[in-house]
Amino acid sequence: MRAGKFRRSGVRARPTVRRSGKAGYLFVAPYVLLLVAVGIYPVGYAIDLALTSFTAHFRGLANFVNSYSDFRFLPAFEHIGLFLAIWLSALVVLVVGLSLVLQSLSGRVSAAYRFVFYLPAALAGAGSVMLWLFMLDPGVSPWDFVLHWLGYKTLGASLASGNLPVVFALIAFWSGAGSWIVVMHGALATIPEDTLEAAKLDGAGAWRTAIHIKLPLIRKWIGYMLIGALAAGSQLFAEPQLVNEATRGFVAQAWSPDQLAYILSFSLDNFNYAAAIAIDLLVVALICAAVILFRTKLFRLDE
Amino acid sequence: MRSFFAAALARRMSAGQAASVGLLTLVAAFFLVPIVWLVLEAISGDIGLWLSNSAFYSTAGAAIAVVLCVPAGYGLATHEFPGRRALLIITIVVMLIPTNALVLPLFLEANSVHLLASPLAVILPYGLFPFGVYLSYLYFNTGSFHALLQSARIDGCGEWQAFRTIAAPLAAPVVALIVFLNFLASWTNFFLPWVMYWSLDETSRYPVALGIAVQLSGGEVSGPFAGYTGLLRLQTSSPPSDIAFLLLASVVPVLVVFGLAQRWIGSGQVQGMGFFR
Repeated sequence: MRAGKFRRSGVRARPTVRRSGKAGYLFVAPYVLLLVAVGIYPVGYAIDLALTSFTAHFRGLANFVNSYSDFRFLPAFEHIGLFLAIWLSALVVLVVGLSLVLQSLSGRVSAAYRFVFYLPAALAGAGSVMLWLFMLDPGVSPWDFVLHWLGYKTLGASLASGNLPVVFALIAFWSGAGSWIVVMHGALATIPEDTLEAAKLDGAGAWRTAIHIKLPLIRKWIGYMLIGALAAGSQLFAEPQLVNEATRGFVAQAWSPDQLAYILSFSLDNFNYAAAIAIDLLVVALICAAVILFRTKLFRLDE
Repeated sequence: MRSFFAAALARRMSAGQAASVGLLTLVAAFFLVPIVWLVLEAISGDIGLWLSNSAFYSTAGAAIAVVLCVPAGYGLATHEFPGRRALLIITIVVMLIPTNALVLPLFLEANSVHLLASPLAVILPYGLFPFGVYLSYLYFNTGSFHALLQSARIDGCGEWQAFRTIAAPLAAPVVALIVFLNFLASWTNFFLPWVMYWSLDETSRYPVALGIAVQLSGGEVSGPFAGYTGLLRLQTSSPPSDIAFLLLASVVPVLVVFGLAQRWIGSGQVQGMGFFR
């Protein structure tokens, strides 16, 4: 059954009939239990830790203030800010651009390209970082000529600290852009033929149709992608951690905020600072989630 | 749409068919065991341990996710109860929060309840899959499904019976999607097992993601190169060909699960759930 056929059958037009009573609780209860146990309770516990000292005395926001004055705090947020700026720009320009180009191809060709772009997702996480360490190691890398052209003769040179935001954006793009292209392609596919036909009749070329018709219609999805990538990108851990291992500690151990919180959480007297930084990051993620939910209206609460 | 549901219900197995499937499974074992042996021999040692740990965590997580998500989404879609809307909002918010954001709070919690080195420390968080609840909610929240349920209720069908005999058999596409997405997310997760196992040197618990990290931990650089980042070369604890094999082996299970679930993932029922309006 084709997606379009399904949509046009108008199944959603009928009113929904929900039964009231206790049965509803029984269906959701097991999920709610786990949600509380590993979703809501740990957050509450972390907030509690962030507001107290390690002898369990209430300290108000002192842990937050103290964590800000840690010498590693500001650099970690600077690093992540730089990474996000590069990664988000690449996402907007390349994912949207590639999706528009893909849409102009025939269904089968476009599907083949989407599959290729999506393929690295299977290797996400540690695997893709490991693979990219080889890609950035002159002598081993199939991109050797590019590295030489850029003047990098060793892995250490490729991973010079100024390069890291770009390197991490490259890895994130390689393993993550494909799934966003699939999402964006799905969003573009919902634009009705009539709309595009009308634009054509009015004399709009492919370029003007893309800029003035298609882009405004998928604006919400671009917003969703940006905010989702912002929330996920602010939590960078595997990439800098593995690069730290690979460079034998030449790259700062607390390159990203998640790494800093992780280091702090393994020393008893800093436990509460770690909780404070985890809460900082969680607040960022929560704000992003709230913006996606209430501003883009992409996720249906009811109908 | 009605015909799709009816056809899916009609497709359920009879006792005779079940017996045939049992017999075929036995014969298939004859054909498969040597191949499985071959695979196990190829991945013996550490790689086998990491892969089987990963398989255990991800499979257990996906099983929990399916068992919790499908009824929860069904309940949210077909029942009215105080707190329903709030639960839906919380579900979507948690689903939009990146998994890494919860890792340190989970670590602090696991530490306080002494679950740090336990497999449950990663399996339970993997089993929480709000996205699956939302998918299941979308799947059952269609007019045609409500109509089907309505007629069953008029015929005197009880709540549990309705779920077991109508909703559960129809849930295959959404189950496939939950299994694949959840499996992929847990399989590639790095931060959670790192925090729960790596820091404590629980090497016997390492999933494949940490096994990959092991390849990089060869101790500090000493001698003339120390301090000169520019001269640093990639040093791994195994030769590149072994690491390439490890990376490929780590991808195979994801491809297998995708292959099994693929039939439903691209199907109209899933795409038509209204993700793109």
